[in-house]
Amino acid sequence: MQTDARQLKEKLTVKAVRNVRRGYEKDEASRGMYRPEVKLDLARSRLLTESYKQTEGEPMVLRRAKAIRSILSRMPIYIQDWERIVGNNVSTPNGIYFGIDMNWRSVKRVVSGEEGQSLLDDAGRAELAQLVAYWEGKSLSDIQKNAFSGDILKYWKYEGTFIWTHWSELGIPDHEKVLAVGFQGIIQEAKARLEEIDRTVPPDYVDQKEFLEAVIIALEAGVTFAGRYAALAREQAKDARAPEDEKRLLKIAEICDRVPAQPARTLEEALQSFFFAHIIRYIEYSSVGIGVRFDKVFGPFLEKDLASGAIARQEALELLKLLWVKFNELGMIYSPLLSAVYGGAATVQAITLGGVDEYGLDVTNEMTHLVLETAEFMQSLEPSICLRYHDRTPDALLSRAVDVIRTGVGYPSLFNDKAILPMLKGWDVPEKDARDYGVSGCVYMELPGKNIVRRAYGGIHLPKVLWWGLHQGVNPVNGEQYGARTRDPLAFTSAEDLMDAYLEQLAFFMERFVKIENTCRALYERYLPRPYLSAITQGCIERGQDCRKWQYPSIVHDICIVAGASNVADALTAVDQVVFKDGKISMQELLDALASNWEGCEHVRRLMLNAPKYGNDHPQADAWAQRVHHGTAEVMARFKNRFGYACRGDGSAVSGTYGAALMCPATPEGRRDGEAFADATLSPVFGADQKGPTAVLKSASKIDTLKTYNHLLNQKFSPDMLSGDMKEVFMNYIRAWGELGISHIQFNIVDRDTLIKAQENPAQYPDLIVRVAGYSAYFADLSRGLQDTIIARTEQSFQ
Amino acid sequence: MRRTGTIFNVQRFCTHDGPGIRTTVFFKGCPLRCKWCSNPESQKMAPQLMVRPSKCTGCGACAAACPEGAVVLLPNRPAQTRWEDCTHCFSCVDACLYGAREAAGREASVDELMEEILADRVFYENSGGGVTLSGGEPLLQPQFAAELLARCKEESLHTALETCGHAPREAAVQLARSLDLVLFDVKQLNPLKHRKYTGMDNNRILRNLEFFSQNTETWLRIPLVAEVNDSEDHMDALANLAIRLGVQKISLLPYHEGGASKADQIGLEYPIPGACKPPDNHIKRLTRIASDLGIEVTVGH
Repeated sequence: MQTDARQLKEKLTVKAVRNVRRGYEKDEASRGMYRPEVKLDLARSRLLTESYKQTEGEPMVLRRAKAIRSILSRMPIYIQDWERIVGNNVSTPNGIYFGIDMNWRSVKRVVSGEEGQSLLDDAGRAELAQLVAYWEGKSLSDIQKNAFSGDILKYWKYEGTFIWTHWSELGIPDHEKVLAVGFQGIIQEAKARLEEIDRTVPPDYVDQKEFLEAVIIALEAGVTFAGRYAALAREQAKDARAPEDEKRLLKIAEICDRVPAQPARTLEEALQSFFFAHIIRYIEYSSVGIGVRFDKVFGPFLEKDLASGAIARQEALELLKLLWVKFNELGMIYSPLLSAVYGGAATVQAITLGGVDEYGLDVTNEMTHLVLETAEFMQSLEPSICLRYHDRTPDALLSRAVDVIRTGVGYPSLFNDKAILPMLKGWDVPEKDARDYGVSGCVYMELPGKNIVRRAYGGIHLPKVLWWGLHQGVNPVNGEQYGARTRDPLAFTSAEDLMDAYLEQLAFFMERFVKIENTCRALYERYLPRPYLSAITQGCIERGQDCRKWQYPSIVHDICIVAGASNVADALTAVDQVVFKDGKISMQELLDALASNWEGCEHVRRLMLNAPKYGNDHPQADAWAQRVHHGTAEVMARFKNRFGYACRGDGSAVSGTYGAALMCPATPEGRRDGEAFADATLSPVFGADQKGPTAVLKSASKIDTLKTYNHLLNQKFSPDMLSGDMKEVFMNYIRAWGELGISHIQFNIVDRDTLIKAQENPAQYPDLIVRVAGYSAYFADLSRGLQDTIIARTEQSFQ
Repeated sequence: MRRTGTIFNVQRFCTHDGPGIRTTVFFKGCPLRCKWCSNPESQKMAPQLMVRPSKCTGCGACAAACPEGAVVLLPNRPAQTRWEDCTHCFSCVDACLYGAREAAGREASVDELMEEILADRVFYENSGGGVTLSGGEPLLQPQFAAELLARCKEESLHTALETCGHAPREAAVQLARSLDLVLFDVKQLNPLKHRKYTGMDNNRILRNLEFFSQNTETWLRIPLVAEVNDSEDHMDALANLAIRLGVQKISLLPYHEGGASKADQIGLEYPIPGACKPPDNHIKRLTRIASDLGIEVTVGH
């Protein structure tokens, strides 16, 4: 058994992207974006294009459904000789997904440049060129680019203040419903709805009818897809090398005949049904994340099978390990620019454990423990595990979670129901729905089954916003009025004036950001309806409406990443203290020092560095941090999405705090031009926290989750801090974190020396995993600069 | 309460000075002069200058600020301090932007300390932790220490004292009222050797140990220095003393070199060059001597 398991780990494919850019700058591009065996998979693009050519002129929702049908019925499939859970979103085990319908331009560049040469051979490159010829002017990024003209076009281009991106979509389908009624059950529902509108003939009869027909086509295609795996398994069973292999394949065939079409009866059927539903979502449109509450959804199947003797615990564990390997087969292409933001990431698939059920009772069950055991053994990048913590989280579960954290794999990351449930309530989410929240990727909070087709539409870089506030919105290099015309900083009489200028600049940029986003979302609705995801999302069939045409009534929706708030807070504190309270330097001296990137002005930089800093439980510094966060959230909320819901930030800064900072000049807290921002919304600036881990939590607890957004907090500890009798202390530290109501915390458990050695001799540390943001990555996949930011996180120690 | 005392540090998130997560207040001033002292800046009562040459950039601000001309600048080297001329006025500390010059020790009021201590209440409550007074020697400032402890008890915090035990009995009595735990340092049972290595004999210390162990839960802490107090016989005697006093836990703290560099930073010559920690297998032997008698032994904390 043990030997088998070890072999299993060797089957893990690594599709993580190496970061090769910082913004538009090359950053170690020559080592390539992917491992050499990873190939760009063109099957989806090929079949999608063929279908599009045949359906020109038809309603878009039907075109999308038929394209799904074309892909699912003809994409080559495979079953490897160890698989028990089957399927993938691409046609080979080493393939990576590519959404030609979203954006082909950067991918075309990637495969012809040094960064991605190994992704395709010459024949592949030729085929890609042919496919691209069709999509020119038709991909969403083309359509969007052509939509803008005039002033807004200027802000659509990345300049360093905010970055707008296409990027993949999240969303947690109603897996529980699929398990309960199967695709066939949902098809029946759609058919019944069709009959109903034939009677009632609503004003949008045609739209509804087309949509419902598309739903049926997509779901039937899903059934066909599973049937192909059943047939392939039977075919392979004929040549099986051994009786147990034949048995394995016939079992696969039997299960794929049944699910996802029919309700799942056993754990194995449930896992397979879920995996099909999951990958078809990835095939329909460029997707990331999972979000399923794994123990809540699959625990009952496990317990039923264990009780009936249908499965032994050891076999269930084996099944999970096999599923884990499959999660890691889902890869996707990143643009080089996005590799700066998602350095080391694959598809940020997160699953959720723990938390409460709709009645507020703890959901921990045998599956919770089985998942942690699997995770501890596999130590794979995917799936990342998000553990919902609340006052009644059992000690045994917390203890097990700490065991996994201690491995250094970076998860489970902890989410605090005490902060998040009230936050969701504040966002008008009914208690029952709120109690069911899941984390789909990074720290993306969603509600399973609800119509939240979540996307991180980009990020805003707050220190750069502040910098504009120190420059009246004028670019000093070319004199262009790029930001808002705020007051002359030389006329500032207090740090309040700088705060006002910051908020005014923020409003100026958010206005433009949101215009771009809202326009784009309207284009997504028109050109990229999602009949499949809609089919397994609550409310779409009842309304006869695609999931892009309406949304769950709350501000739980698309997010804008906020980066560098701690830097802004420290900058304001330092200006307040050094310039205005102590009068040690003048505003002119500060501006001159910033303009020279502190060169020749080290004494000014020192004075600013020596001012109080957020992260030390210091009243003034923390008060500024609080004002920056609360003020930022307030400004963002002034802007509304297409459905009238307020915009909001999100703490999942990914590795953008490194990449995004490249185009931000020196800032008053002592940061030099291009230096990384603090690595998460609640994390102090690197090295600024000098009073230990309790002071960091006290500072973080002053940022009110209810008045802000969803957060992320990184803490770094060395491994001995979680071992032996220190484990109890560490658990108590987590309990105190829970009581303080801080929404999130995650840990890098690795000592500084190891990281430095791994940086110097990467070949000796190929498996060293670190937590980057809401995902884990191989340390060796990160460029030196990004590695430095991980090393620079303050290592907390016990005294 | 307006009473003040002299401390040299307040350290949050201490996990080795008693149970749970604690805040440790380090008192300045100590009656002993242990040659291996790991905090030599704690010995004198008065605040004193501490210099970290590794942080010095040679900018010269300290030399310009020093009214006594006690700072000497040499090209491409950290600023040098003529300790004999230094009056500890701290003008150079205010002038230094790089953290190379600091004042070890400051006056602090009970109120001010309580504010800092209470900041981590949520951690004490979740971990069974609390407050530890350490040093230096808290018993050298008995009024101040007693008031601080009484205030902690008013707040229902768990309290601990780390002490070398060399103090008048009244001081011990005064503090014991507000103490839940005493971490009592025993360096050497032999009075002559004790005087040789710490400057004082241990008569008063052993009597205070007896007092504390009868009134408060008491653990022993032994800084283990090779050739000084690491013989098996000595360990045996200590363990038997612990049994007699009803002490249930002994912490062995192997010598570390932290004190040597700090001595340099305050202009002292380190009195015990070449001191070292006993070999690991020897520490294991010593551990076994005590644990065989049913005493809980921890090493390093």
